[in-house]
Amino acid sequence: MASQARSDGPRPRRYGSSDDDRRGGRRGYGPPAARRKCAFCANKALELDYKKVDMLHNYITERGKIGTRRHSGLCARHQRDMSLAIKRARHLALLPYTAEHVRKG
Amino acid sequence: MAGYELVFIVQPELEEEPRNALVSKVTQTISDLKGQVIKLDPWGKRRLAYPIKKHHEGFYVVVQMDLPPAAERSLERAIRLMEDIIRYLVVRKEIAPPAEPQQ
Repeated sequence: MASQARSDGPRPRRYGSSDDDRRGGRRGYGPPAARRKCAFCANKALELDYKKVDMLHNYITERGKIGTRRHSGLCARHQRDMSLAIKRARHLALLPYTAEHVRKG
Repeated sequence: MAGYELVFIVQPELEEEPRNALVSKVTQTISDLKGQVIKLDPWGKRRLAYPIKKHHEGFYVVVQMDLPPAAERSLERAIRLMEDIIRYLVVRKEIAPPAEPQQ
């Protein structure tokens, strides 16, 4: 009987699975932040392009490093595309490789 | 034929006339390789994020084209031989039919 009830509901989660570890539980303080959708998934018209320097600037740190996913809020796929775009932009000297480049500027 | 995008940076000290000659040399190379230039977009001079070959500025040119994939290497080789081109990048990129204005 119990098993029947379960099959109608959402996918059962086994305790101790990696899924389980990531959900639940709160990190840090303050109200739980709503998960924001990845900017490129949310807006399909937004194209990720290594030539859009101004946009790419939002995704690198002050030292010119590629920001983490926590920083960027991107999904895995778009974070991957983003990292490639940043690398291409660096090759074309649209973005710096290091902060040293910026300082001398 | 496949869509490609080529970006190259011409060293800044080159005068306008030889620079135009250089750009048409590149487009000529593309058509010699049975390619077809779809869009030529010279950005003009821009400050480089870091010096390349002691230059702090560069003249950027973006070319969208169709090119037989087998000719891609020949194009790169030809570009590498042009000394006034200080940096280039070729990527595959299918060009969407008349794109709506971006941003």
